[in-house]
Amino acid sequence: MALAETIKTKANNALGVNPQDAKISKSYFTVTFLALLIGGTLGLVQGLNRAGLFELPSWLNYYQVLTAHGLLLILVFTAFFTIGYFYAGLSHTLGGLIPKVRKMVWIGFWMKIFGFVLAVIPILMNEASVMYTFYPPMAASPLFYFGLVFIVLGVWMAAFGAFVQVANWRKNHKGQHLPILSFFATGVFVLLFFSSIPVAIEVFMIIPWVLGWMETINVMLSRTLFWAFGHTLVNIWYLTAISVWYVIVPKVIGGRRFSDTLTRVVVILLVILNIPGGFHHQIIDPGISETIKYMHVFMSLAVGFPSLMTAYAMFSVFERTGRAKGAKGLFGFFKKLPWGDVRFLAPFIAMVAFIPAGAGGIVQTTNQLDQVVHNSLWIVGHFHLTLGMTVALTFFGVSYWLIPRISGRILTKKMNKMGVITTILWTIGMSFMAIAMHLVGLLGSPRRTSYTTYGDNATALGWDPYLIFLAIGGTFLIVAVIMQVYSAFHLMFRAPKGEEEFPIAEEEEDASKTPFWTERWSRTILIMLIVVAMAYVIPIVDFIGDPGSPPWKTW
Amino acid sequence: MTQAIFGLLFFVFLILPPVASLMESIMIIHMHMQMPLLVISGFLMAPFFQKKLPAFFEKWNQIGIPGIFLFIIIMSYWSIPRTMDDALTIQAVEIFKFISLPFLVGVPLRDSWAKISTVWKNITFIIFLILFTAMGILYIASPDQLCNNYLRTEQVTLGWGFITMAAAILIYLVQLLFINPADYE
Repeated sequence: MALAETIKTKANNALGVNPQDAKISKSYFTVTFLALLIGGTLGLVQGLNRAGLFELPSWLNYYQVLTAHGLLLILVFTAFFTIGYFYAGLSHTLGGLIPKVRKMVWIGFWMKIFGFVLAVIPILMNEASVMYTFYPPMAASPLFYFGLVFIVLGVWMAAFGAFVQVANWRKNHKGQHLPILSFFATGVFVLLFFSSIPVAIEVFMIIPWVLGWMETINVMLSRTLFWAFGHTLVNIWYLTAISVWYVIVPKVIGGRRFSDTLTRVVVILLVILNIPGGFHHQIIDPGISETIKYMHVFMSLAVGFPSLMTAYAMFSVFERTGRAKGAKGLFGFFKKLPWGDVRFLAPFIAMVAFIPAGAGGIVQTTNQLDQVVHNSLWIVGHFHLTLGMTVALTFFGVSYWLIPRISGRILTKKMNKMGVITTILWTIGMSFMAIAMHLVGLLGSPRRTSYTTYGDNATALGWDPYLIFLAIGGTFLIVAVIMQVYSAFHLMFRAPKGEEEFPIAEEEEDASKTPFWTERWSRTILIMLIVVAMAYVIPIVDFIGDPGSPPWKTW
Repeated sequence: MTQAIFGLLFFVFLILPPVASLMESIMIIHMHMQMPLLVISGFLMAPFFQKKLPAFFEKWNQIGIPGIFLFIIIMSYWSIPRTMDDALTIQAVEIFKFISLPFLVGVPLRDSWAKISTVWKNITFIIFLILFTAMGILYIASPDQLCNNYLRTEQVTLGWGFITMAAAILIYLVQLLFINPADYE
């Protein structure tokens, strides 16, 4: 069996990438980076407007831009990258996709594109400036919600495709552990599927309401259903990012993976604990009792625990690798890391950014502290650190080897240098922006608000210097966006032909055996469902019979 | 053994008066959080007893069935509304709760689960599916207050808690019909 595996792996490596599977990932990445380009440009427009430097034309309103920026970067950029990356991983580690799965993921792709076009039309017509959270009672055009339905269905197709692929592999490899990257993929798709159920329910509550068949909607219930999805989505990106940190980065720096068991336990914990975390987005919402909010601090902080495990694991890998290369002293290993390699530098900065980002997250989950920052620009600063740095930089880091790999090309020294410069520019831009947002948020500047001086109120004028930094950061970022998009397409179509490595790190030689219970997904999912039920039953029962609201168009 | 020590620490934490009274102040948390957590603390402590008293488990729980019956009986006892009132008003019953759930539920569950066959495991799941559905309907539909210590609105919440637990078990059982674990292991 072991011999057969070795032969298969060697054959895989010799044959390189399956062109049909590569096409899937390339299509997903094309959408990813187009979304980055458009979304990034809209981001700059917004930053300039918010700083009072640029007035939007009369046919474009701030909330329209904000909705499109959010939807493109929070939903499209992340979801398409995640699916493209994990399908490349599934294809690579499980010996190619099976034809049925390929068909499913293509159907999913076009469903998402179709849904996205449906959603964008009303946004362009200023009929859906409801922002990416689309909170009722704000009501967009029905077309927007139909679009969302297709996006969710497309995501489900991709998730089911992954399940079929994994189940098929496991049937043919009885008793074996799923390769680690596919294990991460399974966790992510389980979360994607189960978390999109509540948002699907929400959308099916909204549709009859915007069509006028129902007079009112239960606002609290719909917000709760949204965040059961929204918060999980955040953690799906995070889980995708840490899959790179655990599996890819050690290989890039020439080391070995941290404990396989711990890695799998982190995935399982994140799957189980994630969905209930959504409540901390609703700390200021009325209609949920203080006791429940207090209890949910535990749920949210529970997610912090695997994050701390991850932080430990990463630095342990760095240190071990550095020492193996002959580093001396307490921090000598830092010098041995490949700082000039964008495949390492980008994810490394991503990890470092997660330290303040995670700390900020803990602030926001804590009831009393959140009272100060809720709905201020602090929150926006927070997710520009988490999504904009931790997740985006990790994804960029991946793009420099994965895109050439699936395109049958190589990452040249020149492109690597370009990547390093992009990473640095991005880091500078995002740091300016995120730090300024955090600070001005503490001073009370609200999020989701077009530029105003509130009648030249002194406090509001005091925010201006900080807001200028949004514009400065945005300018750095747009340069980085253009460079990154150029790199992605250059590596896909222009770079010299060759074979780029798919860097997957091996376990330590003396690694202990991973227990088989980690493979029992039915049990993991049962526990997850019970935890979700425990978390949601109290508040949701409290919402039964709350008076509803008719639709509002606030813009 | 680390597990057993953590189990013991967890048990001590759960029976601390402020922790216990906070959890008992909300009906659903009393029944669906405090009680299962006590069971889990016992589950974690089980290896200690298995190691110290192997002969006892060998004699009384050779094939695991007695243990699982004990587990089911004690769990059923604690799902009766009246028992929660008793635990809140009579000190002795409260002490019985703190002893019975870890040591007569958690410990035998851990010992038995490894010993019983898949059929018995599924029977156990089905028993709890039926019990939870019935309790859920009772707590939601009952027009009267079932516990002196808790309001009817809290009772409805607990009822939905039972229904959602039952739904989770049902989903697990249904997937067993389609997915045979033996295909993968």
